[in-house]
Amino acid sequence: MAEERLVTRTPFPASAESQKPRLKKAQEFPILEKQNWLIHLHYIRKDYEACKAVIKEQLQETQGLCEYAIYVQALILRLEGNIQESLELFQTCAVLSPQCADNLKQVARSLFLLGKHKAAIEVYNEAAKLNQKDWEICHNVGVCYIYLKQFSKAQDQLHNALHLNRHDLTYIMLGKIHLLEGDLDKAIEIYKKAVEFSPENTELLTTLGLLYLQLGIYQKAFEHLGNALTYDPTNYKAILAAGSMMQTHGDFDVALTKYRVVACAVPESPPLWNNIGMCFFGKKKYVAAISCLKRANYLAPFDWKILYNLGLVHLTMQQYASAFHFLSAAINLQPKMGELYMLLAVALTNLEDPENAKRAYAEAARLDKCQPLVNLNYAVLLYKQGEKEGALAQYQEMERSVRLLRDSGSLEFDSEMVEMAQKLGAALQVGDALVWTKPVKDAKSKHRTTSTSKAAGVQQPLGSNQALGQAMSSAAAHRKLPSGAGGTSQLTKPPSLPLEPEPTAEAHPAEASAQIREKQE
Amino acid sequence: MAAASSSDSDSGRAESNEASSKWLDAHYDPMANIHTFSSCLALADLHGDGEYKLVVGDLGPGGQHPRLKVLKGPTVLTESPLPALPAAAATFLMEQHEPRTPALALASGPCVYVYKNLRPYFKFSLPQLPPNPLEQDLWNQAKEDRIDPLTLKEMLEGIREKAEVPLSVQSLRFLQLELSEMEAFVSQHKSRSIKRQTVITTMTTLKKNLADEDAVSCLVLGTENKELLVLDPEAFTILAKMSLPSVPVFLEVSGQFDVEFRLAAACRNGNVYILRRDSKHPKYCIELSAQPVGLVRVHKVLVVGSTQESLHGFTHKGRKLWTVQMPASILTMNLLEQRSRGLQAVMAGLANGEVRIYHDKALLNVIRTPDAVTSLCFGRYGREDNTLIITTRGGGLIIKILKRTAVFVEAGGVVGPPPAQAMKLSVPRKTRLYVDQTLREREAGTAMHRTFQTDLHLLRLRAARAYVRALESSLNPVSVTAREPLKLHAVVQGLGPTFKLTLHLQNTSAARPILGLLVCFLYNEVLYALPRAFFKVPLLVPGLIYPLETFVESLSDKGISDIIKVLVLREGQSAPLLSAHINMPVSEGLAAA
Repeated sequence: MAEERLVTRTPFPASAESQKPRLKKAQEFPILEKQNWLIHLHYIRKDYEACKAVIKEQLQETQGLCEYAIYVQALILRLEGNIQESLELFQTCAVLSPQCADNLKQVARSLFLLGKHKAAIEVYNEAAKLNQKDWEICHNVGVCYIYLKQFSKAQDQLHNALHLNRHDLTYIMLGKIHLLEGDLDKAIEIYKKAVEFSPENTELLTTLGLLYLQLGIYQKAFEHLGNALTYDPTNYKAILAAGSMMQTHGDFDVALTKYRVVACAVPESPPLWNNIGMCFFGKKKYVAAISCLKRANYLAPFDWKILYNLGLVHLTMQQYASAFHFLSAAINLQPKMGELYMLLAVALTNLEDPENAKRAYAEAARLDKCQPLVNLNYAVLLYKQGEKEGALAQYQEMERSVRLLRDSGSLEFDSEMVEMAQKLGAALQVGDALVWTKPVKDAKSKHRTTSTSKAAGVQQPLGSNQALGQAMSSAAAHRKLPSGAGGTSQLTKPPSLPLEPEPTAEAHPAEASAQIREKQE
Repeated sequence: MAAASSSDSDSGRAESNEASSKWLDAHYDPMANIHTFSSCLALADLHGDGEYKLVVGDLGPGGQHPRLKVLKGPTVLTESPLPALPAAAATFLMEQHEPRTPALALASGPCVYVYKNLRPYFKFSLPQLPPNPLEQDLWNQAKEDRIDPLTLKEMLEGIREKAEVPLSVQSLRFLQLELSEMEAFVSQHKSRSIKRQTVITTMTTLKKNLADEDAVSCLVLGTENKELLVLDPEAFTILAKMSLPSVPVFLEVSGQFDVEFRLAAACRNGNVYILRRDSKHPKYCIELSAQPVGLVRVHKVLVVGSTQESLHGFTHKGRKLWTVQMPASILTMNLLEQRSRGLQAVMAGLANGEVRIYHDKALLNVIRTPDAVTSLCFGRYGREDNTLIITTRGGGLIIKILKRTAVFVEAGGVVGPPPAQAMKLSVPRKTRLYVDQTLREREAGTAMHRTFQTDLHLLRLRAARAYVRALESSLNPVSVTAREPLKLHAVVQGLGPTFKLTLHLQNTSAARPILGLLVCFLYNEVLYALPRAFFKVPLLVPGLIYPLETFVESLSDKGISDIIKVLVLREGQSAPLLSAHINMPVSEGLAAA
């Protein structure tokens, strides 16, 4: 080998004289690191074929002593998914130069990828002895502890890592721990710091926005999601979340426009088609709504939220038999939700099956203790069936939960529901409208029927707040979201309308939870 | 060049819209056979005649035949083989004397070859690294035969475990040897002094004491043993030596050596270190958490490309300024400097064949090339001030000239809503039939629901009945009685008229073996013949699957098939434990039989 190299060297005219002293004995050993730079350049350009060729040549020449060549070969093997083989090569590297923390770090990383978290931690600790101030070691040990479910240790390590050097990834992991522990406030604290540190990281911005959304702090949520969209207008998580918020405000056209971007990027996302479907529902395009929801259902057959929405749309379309099927499917997947039983009861009532409807109402009332709507609908059904005592009991139950709700917060009630309740109260001769004093004052001009009354009324859209919708849409169009408009008005919007509010209220939790899940992978 | 532009522009037209493009396609040769990196490209007026040449340190196809090529216009002027692969090329002024022709430096292996007027002028070799004194001592002892190979090996291994200074190649090679080979190796090599040599990984130039365009420059070398060296331009002595925590890959220098300078070195550990004149060690550190693929300084901003398909901007103190995502991975980066307009921008060659030009975060221009870009170089070429040299992965060479009227405008890239927003949603259409059915459901929903519920109940009832019947008559192939939990699975093989029937019988109990079972076949004797219709089953050990084979002869030549019933019985009981119905296939071997 050495001779060959010398032969090629002689024709070089540049420095024939200066070459001479190098032409010593034939036994010259090649320099081990001769082509490391080339290996590295090929490696970072992801030209793995060329890289492997150089590595092979280099290893042949040095009889396997070139540490860096083995190291890069192991890295490539790991990228190709041969983790076990890469681990063995990294161990070889560690033998060739035991003082190098990098090799140990890679051994640990391979162990981590193989799921041997405890072993990985041990090797990392070994590496930490060689290199005290490496954020990467601290960070990775922290991640290992997360997988071992030792969250407090993980937190310590991640905080150490942040102390040594701040990285977005460490913040994300820390936030994740808090989310796994169910501590939203702490997670928000961490993400806030992270956003402060790198204000342009769309992933951080989106996550923070979604967390605010979960906590119901809509103004901040919209602010952060908007920021994320400013930096990356195609960030589909942010678009979905922002879109669902626009939907809540009845701003369906803008939301639909935004969803187009997502539909291009992630055409097979169930939450996307769910939200699009509910947009069409809001725009009273029921056939399109059903098409989109069915696509969502096709993509995620076990998502009860989509089934819920499908049931709702079919109820609106007076397709009670279909609605029954979707709702019962949803109940099979999510048996703990009162509202589902209530909707099922509505479907059953319309299918002239009052016996089962009553049972469904009873179940709904059992599961959902402070939803006046359930009791009201139940009372109406009982009244129509001529069971006045039962109706009265439900009516009183409703009054109780209304009081409870009123005491607990500044909740307002849908005027239509109030109207219905007052009618029923009159019919039952218990007419005192005291409970409703507050909402009646600002009763809007909406005429909506509760589910048991004439079906035609159900087809009212929810987009009640037109002015707000306008404000939101213009804000979204400019992608600079005024912090005031969106959020504050959101709080005044009554969240517990009878049938219709569900679609939008539903649309975003479905999607938000999907996001969270995705992130936690 | 003008002639070339007329003949070669056809091929380039497909890629860039000629009319709106800021570039003139001067030359495109997909077979130029140039394989190199941006660091091995340099533009310089090598002969002092005002005609700028392109110097290419070519690695050759597959890194096999390294060559030094000098191009003038679209043609290769001179070409000479190199002793080893070139790591970097640079042109610099060595001295003040007239004529002020720049020298060419080519870093390769442990040496820098310096050319003047394209003639070899000087070779600088990196000094040998000091060997480990303990190791030296051991080999000296070996020389005098005072130490036997085994002890030598042990001692060397001890050094390798602990020592700060790594062993020489000779010792490492020795440690790999088998016992039998050691003696010969020691006697062959003991007289030689041990050596440690490092190689150059990267090289750049640094002005010596004047900031002028044509001031004398020093060479700055990055070496494999994690050091940076600054060489004197005339004497080629080492003026300064700085150490880094990792091996440098890319260097970026500003300032003058004698006054004040800043050195940024992107290293193999994914960090960028920033050094100043009077610091022997890095002053600031940028941790990228990915490998850097390029380092360019634009005014005071350090632009780093990372393997995560992004460009990052940092201040010279290492504070992050911005990040831009790329559509594909970055392969190479270089500086674009349009002196006439005072513009400095970063060019990034991407794996998808694009060259993107950024001024800070703003995308100024995108050039599409037919292949992935491997190296970029911008500057004066020939007599044209703003020329862009691009080489592609297949060895192609593209030369483009920036139009003199061209002005780079910021926000020339994507601003406003993403294009996908204008696309229509593909909402699935519903057919007429669907609408009709919807209407029908509205009319007769209740009836449909009732019919469905009735049918559903009937179905459940029937299923339940069938299940009970099966349980009662042991018709199912799985027996779950407490005493004999069994599982039966039958396979029929063959085309006929002879079939092989294999029964797989398994005792599914946890520990108890089953003894005294019988198997009985019930079949139509007109159609089939079995050698034994009734036999005993051996003891069944729990968990194991017992294949019981028997042959079935099909007697009918009319192509009819029938069911064969398999019953598993317990000795002394008439009710079967379990049973299986085997649908026999039609015999296809009738003609042969």
